Amino acid sequence: MGAADFAIIGTGEVPCGNYPERSEFEIAYEVARMAIRDSGLDKNDVGAVLCAQHIMSNPDNDYNTEMVFGRLPEAIGAKGCKVTCMTSSGGASSYSIRKTAEGILESGETDTVLVVHAQRFSQFTPNEQAKYFSIAGSDVEWEVPFGMTYNSLAAMITQGYMNATGTTIEQVAAVCVACRRWAMLQPNAMFNKKEITIDKVVNARMVSYPLTTLMCNVLGDGGSAFIMTTAEKARKVCDSPVYFLGEGSDYSHRTITRGRVRELDQLTEFIAPIAKEAYERSGLGPDDMDIYEIYGSYPVINLMVMDSLGFVEPGKSGALVEAGETSPGGKYPCSTNGEAMSFGHSGTGCGFATLVESVRQLQGKAGAAQVEGAKFLVENCGGGAFMDCHFTVMGNQVPG
Amino acid sequence: MAGGQIDIETIKAMLGLCDEDLVKPLPIPTKWSKPFWDAALQHKLVLKKCKSCGNIDHPPYLYCTECMGDEHEWVEASGKGTLAAYAINIFGVPFPFWADLPYVVALIDLPEGPRMISNIVECDHEKLENGMELEVVFDDVTDEVTLPKWRPVDETKRG
Repeated sequence: MGAADFAIIGTGEVPCGNYPERSEFEIAYEVARMAIRDSGLDKNDVGAVLCAQHIMSNPDNDYNTEMVFGRLPEAIGAKGCKVTCMTSSGGASSYSIRKTAEGILESGETDTVLVVHAQRFSQFTPNEQAKYFSIAGSDVEWEVPFGMTYNSLAAMITQGYMNATGTTIEQVAAVCVACRRWAMLQPNAMFNKKEITIDKVVNARMVSYPLTTLMCNVLGDGGSAFIMTTAEKARKVCDSPVYFLGEGSDYSHRTITRGRVRELDQLTEFIAPIAKEAYERSGLGPDDMDIYEIYGSYPVINLMVMDSLGFVEPGKSGALVEAGETSPGGKYPCSTNGEAMSFGHSGTGCGFATLVESVRQLQGKAGAAQVEGAKFLVENCGGGAFMDCHFTVMGNQVPG
Repeated sequence: MAGGQIDIETIKAMLGLCDEDLVKPLPIPTKWSKPFWDAALQHKLVLKKCKSCGNIDHPPYLYCTECMGDEHEWVEASGKGTLAAYAINIFGVPFPFWADLPYVVALIDLPEGPRMISNIVECDHEKLENGMELEVVFDDVTDEVTLPKWRPVDETKRG
């Protein structure tokens, strides 16, 4: 595939947060309608409906089973739907499901694909969630019996990164502050009411040394959707299509003990070549980017991704963030929806939220968070216990 | 380090947990990992080594992840290791581990090549340092399951 063969022409999103009364089915149906209306197409133009996985299942009315068995096209009245499926790769689902969509578009069976994510964590008890995430984040045989958690792994990486680069805990905390500043501009963000300071983040309750509660992402109910089509059709039906210009991907491990790059403080050696590949395939470079839409899920991963993106000297991103350069009004806007830490972590949807925000920014629909005149950006996601990494350069125009 | 000691009975009442929710998860061996856990029960640390190419796989898998060969032997490890990275869990861990807080989870490098996630026990949290020398100790958590854990070789760093 050459660059810029596919585009997104519409998006939809519901607020992220604690909404127990809003079922995951309701979320899916609502965001599907929003995305179809936003795209300007008729619902019967949709030829394929793809769903992301709902994290955890309700045995009485399982969303995943319903979606796998074709509930969504029927419920939204997509009378032209020919193909339906579910694609998941955890936090990297926004990427893998897009690849599925591209395959369907490439087949010629349809030129319009609807992609939907929905999640309602609040239907499960704290104990059920704790059990699920201890297993999801760590190896059930080799790590879980030792009390290993997602937060512990992020803590180990943070500790290693701070030692290796001289980054301070205040600079790590500054990532959370910057995310909160963006979230304050986002109507759908879980935490958009109250600013936080570096002091507050550093002095919050310690979870897994050196991470405090405010350095860890928070699970929230949420969902979003988008309409994907061929670039050719996008130009005909949409005033502001957003094109995929170049991508890079790599997989590392399931368990961190088997990571392709051995040292936790050197994960940039895994991440940076992927970013480089995405830039090269797009024909653009770091200086061409107006925004860096990073989904790291923990502040240290955001810093490592920044270090890998070519706009800051590796190891120095903490100082850049602390100086406010990644915050609203800064020279290098990063994670403009507030990211997992302040937008909220909706399971497989965290990457979707980043992607949907990327599209909004490039369509000029990002409201108070709009980065004026944004033309190109680089978007990122990854899943599992930092199992993989994907970068996509996106633009509202195809560079000549 | 600020301790995260929380009264487990209060938590149980608050969250409506039963005793079963506080049972620690134990490894459920697979066909290809059972010899590791059988050896641990005998207080031996063993690793799966491929007889065709000499690769050591940990965690072990069904066949060698280098050459896909089946032939293998279980070799006894030296029981020495170095601390590659660690975290001190203070709060927000799965409920069965609340009573252990604060505790150390770590990434341990074995001189034989593989790495393991385990706990550092008998240690002074203030004296933990990446690169420090460790030795394996065996924690008989039940009659059927023993978990290999690690402690500092240097007795002055033990707690």
